[in-house]
Amino acid sequence: MSKKSDKAKALQKKATEKQKNILEMLKSHGAKIYEDLDNGQFPKFSIPSRSVSNIVYDKKLRQYILGNSTALRSSRNTSQLRSFTQLMWLAFFANRLTNEKKSSTLRDIYYSSQAFAIDFEDQAESDNIIVDLEAVTSRPREDFHIFPEERSSIFGDLNIEYTIPGYEGKSMNLANHPDGYAIGPSLTTAELVDTSAEIVIAIEKGGLFTRFVEEQVDKKFKSIIINTGGQAPRSTRTLLKRLHDEMKLPVIILTDGDVYGEHIAMVIKSGSANAAHLRELTVPDAKWVGVWATDIEKYKLPTIPMTESDIKRCYDLQKDPRYLDGIWKKELEVFLRLKRKAELEAFSKYGLTNITEKYLPQKLELAKSL
Amino acid sequence: MSSIKEKFNQISPSEFFYRNRDLAGFSNPTRSLYTAVREFVENGLDACDQKGILPDIHLTIKAVDPEKPDPKPYILTVKDNGPGIESKHVPLAFGTVLYGSKFGLKQARGMFGLGATMAILYGQITTNKPVTVKSSTDAKTSDEFELILDIQKNKPVILKHKTKDVSKKGLSVSIFLEGDYSKAGAKIRDYVYQTSLITPYATITFDDPKGEKYHYPRIIKTMPRPPTIIRPHPYGIDVETIRRMIVESQFEIPTIDDAMIEKVRKDLGLSKKNLSFTAIMAKAKTRWKNLSRQVRVVIALMSFLKMDFEKLNKIRIEDIDVPNKKLFYWDFGDSQSKSVDMDPESQYYRQLTNTVQGETLTAFLTKRFQRVGPTTAVKFAQFAGFKPEKRIGSMTNQELVKLSDALQKFDDFMSPDPSCLAPLGEEPLEKGMRKFFEPDFLAVIQRNASAYSGFPFVVEMGIAYGGNINTRGIKVYRYANRIPLLYDEGSDVVLKVVNDIDWSRYKAKGDPPLVIVSHICSTRIPYKTVGKENVADRQEIEKELKLAIQFIARKLSVFMNKKGQAEAAKKRANLYAKYIPLIAQFCTELAGKTKEPNVQKILQEEKPIENE
Ligand SMILES: Nc1ncnc2c1ncn2[C@@H]1O[C@H](COP(=O)(O)OP(=O)(O)OP(=O)(O)O)[C@@H](O)[C@H]1O
Ligand SMILES: [Mg+2]
Repeated sequence: MSKKSDKAKALQKKATEKQKNILEMLKSHGAKIYEDLDNGQFPKFSIPSRSVSNIVYDKKLRQYILGNSTALRSSRNTSQLRSFTQLMWLAFFANRLTNEKKSSTLRDIYYSSQAFAIDFEDQAESDNIIVDLEAVTSRPREDFHIFPEERSSIFGDLNIEYTIPGYEGKSMNLANHPDGYAIGPSLTTAELVDTSAEIVIAIEKGGLFTRFVEEQVDKKFKSIIINTGGQAPRSTRTLLKRLHDEMKLPVIILTDGDVYGEHIAMVIKSGSANAAHLRELTVPDAKWVGVWATDIEKYKLPTIPMTESDIKRCYDLQKDPRYLDGIWKKELEVFLRLKRKAELEAFSKYGLTNITEKYLPQKLELAKSL
Repeated sequence: MSSIKEKFNQISPSEFFYRNRDLAGFSNPTRSLYTAVREFVENGLDACDQKGILPDIHLTIKAVDPEKPDPKPYILTVKDNGPGIESKHVPLAFGTVLYGSKFGLKQARGMFGLGATMAILYGQITTNKPVTVKSSTDAKTSDEFELILDIQKNKPVILKHKTKDVSKKGLSVSIFLEGDYSKAGAKIRDYVYQTSLITPYATITFDDPKGEKYHYPRIIKTMPRPPTIIRPHPYGIDVETIRRMIVESQFEIPTIDDAMIEKVRKDLGLSKKNLSFTAIMAKAKTRWKNLSRQVRVVIALMSFLKMDFEKLNKIRIEDIDVPNKKLFYWDFGDSQSKSVDMDPESQYYRQLTNTVQGETLTAFLTKRFQRVGPTTAVKFAQFAGFKPEKRIGSMTNQELVKLSDALQKFDDFMSPDPSCLAPLGEEPLEKGMRKFFEPDFLAVIQRNASAYSGFPFVVEMGIAYGGNINTRGIKVYRYANRIPLLYDEGSDVVLKVVNDIDWSRYKAKGDPPLVIVSHICSTRIPYKTVGKENVADRQEIEKELKLAIQFIARKLSVFMNKKGQAEAAKKRANLYAKYIPLIAQFCTELAGKTKEPNVQKILQEEKPIENE
């Protein structure tokens, strides 16, 4: 008991430390702006440029990062004045959130702004300013207690301890609830204590996630199952990264057998160009194990024809440096050759448990050699 | 001139009217009402202009029976404060076609001596009512006439004539006519409005049939310089005109009647005596120097006829045939035509031929045309292939055509004299436009005089932007010789030039509230149609219009730039005023301060400079 509360204290200390750092950083930004104004000067700051020409692929990091070019944002420039003010407001608001340890969603931010006469036209505009804040501070928005609406979930034998206010030190085993646990701010910030699992299986679809829980894939294959709910949200990617880095668990990814599925896996592995300004969201060692285009033929899966946009997407991805070799390249080519795709559910043709009993074991085996 | 008059006299005025009603603008009740208004208003303005009187024009249109539907009879009255017309000329001016005082070569609204009479004729034909003219030339008495036109005889018939005591000079015309005000009203109001714009020195009042009063008081009190009458320019002349000028330049052979003989006797000091032929000749020789031209011609004739006064009384000179050196005469006694040979060696021969053959070519050119000096005249004669001393009266038809062609082709004539033009002037135009539109921006230009085919012209133009102009897009007011052109605007050269301009280059994008006033003054406006409503695109005129419009458009663009800058500065200042305090508020809390930074320094600095 006492050991536990010691640990809780340590956790709390760590969290407080992080919070202090963030607040310090925000304050220093604020102070600079304040000074400029007080000196009768238009405040300005520089921000890494997020234009396409400044997004480069870093082979070593195995993700997209921003290049060296920066842009100057000046409040003297009337075309930037509005977004400048919006960003100031966001920093101010993030400061409050962090201070008060309150979390909010992207949508919250959009609505909160209205109380301050900050006229965001729509949520897209406010989302964009949030990305600006991330770029200026090189911190993910989660650090400022801003989270997306969650759809993804997790299930498996994993003990965690919360660090969020009111739950500090409280622990939980994530195999206790068969529907799984929503991956939200409290989970992404929780301390990962221990696990009996030996692998993390990220799966694209909620339906299959439920099947995997039912079929006790967690026990049978000593795994933690994560439902990415389509394109994995950043909190989920953060958690995946932590499971990999902190718990030393390999990560495999199962998606639909189409070009979008392939890219969902790629984003988990090496991030998206949209988040090139952030570096803690990738799991470079994660492995995409299926459904591959080659699986469609191999397992004789029922297919549907690819659409125009599917095909176009294939050609687009062929220009991405990450798709220039390995299975990434090969599978794209096969998709283009087949012009057909198959969903995870396609295995149901051979019985509902076919996927967990036949396909998954084969793929887990294969993953070791990838 | 006289030959034209004769030509028209051969048909009756009503026939003339019917033949020319479209041309003169009397084709239907709508157009006729409008044209009649124009004719009388323009006559009033012309009369005042010519005498340097600041015009006061009062136009009234009243329905005879307001209850009747249009078209219906109206009474149209136009009253001015001009010089009036002398009593004895009133019936002629208003009762005959082609009586006019404006034939000389100078700019005036009226040109043909037709307008008033056509309107009166139209009124008389459609309502069978006389015209009433009241005229006072001395501000003491007024002559009041009621006239109808005797259509068979082309003669005015005076129904009533009385005189009245008055205190003001001026003329008033009142006619009954069939009209359609419900259709013509808008055009007439436009006409009155636009006329006042180009005549800012006039007060114009219009009482319309519906009881509305449109009053445009005088904006400036100075009259533009009146035009002077000038001689024609060689470029603007054709064979027919040359022929007419030659007739005018020739001295007539005096009619030898009793009065003439009496005069010759007296000048020779022979009133009482009856001398023989030789004695008369001797006497003439001694007195030659003091004799008048007419008398010299009679003496010369007598020298060839070898007659004394008594014989001379019984003949009439028929012709002087210079090429054959023969003198023809009619002998009343024998009742037959006779001839005598003329001795070219005789000292009297020259006297006669000079008289008959008129001036030398060089004298004709220098005396009858503008801006032709003796040197130019001689040079021209060489160019045209005539001897400079060639008598123009001796020219054959062929030679006249050759002369006329050469006049068009000779390059060394000076450009036409613009003193016969009466542009409004930059200042009056500007004042008029300012009063009418109260614009944010105004620019005017008067170009230097230029010429096309021998006719001088001047282009004036003004541009106004914003202010009280609430029309969208470019509104063009076109004028020629101070007359607004309201019809047929489609094919007009002014509009062509305006439309050819890329207005966005001059910072007038979209549908700017713009007004352009264009005024072309010329002794002859090259109208495209007989309706006199649109100006043809003569290259020279188009060029001048272009230069004028480019000049004022450049000024507009300077203004628009400044205005754009001022607007942008204002917009910027507003943005700063809105956002900078917010930034201050947010960064204060962010920086952990309690007192907000002083942002006034920035805001003050960025305050826009107030717009003029
Ligand atoms: N209001 C007036 N005051 C003085 N004189 C006038 C007035 N109205 C007309 N006249 C005289 O009568 C003449 C005839 O007028 P009319 O309108 O018929 O011809 P116009 O004006 O010379 O030429 P146009 O046919 O082009 O109008 C004029 O030339 C002028 O001398
Ligand atoms: Mg007239």
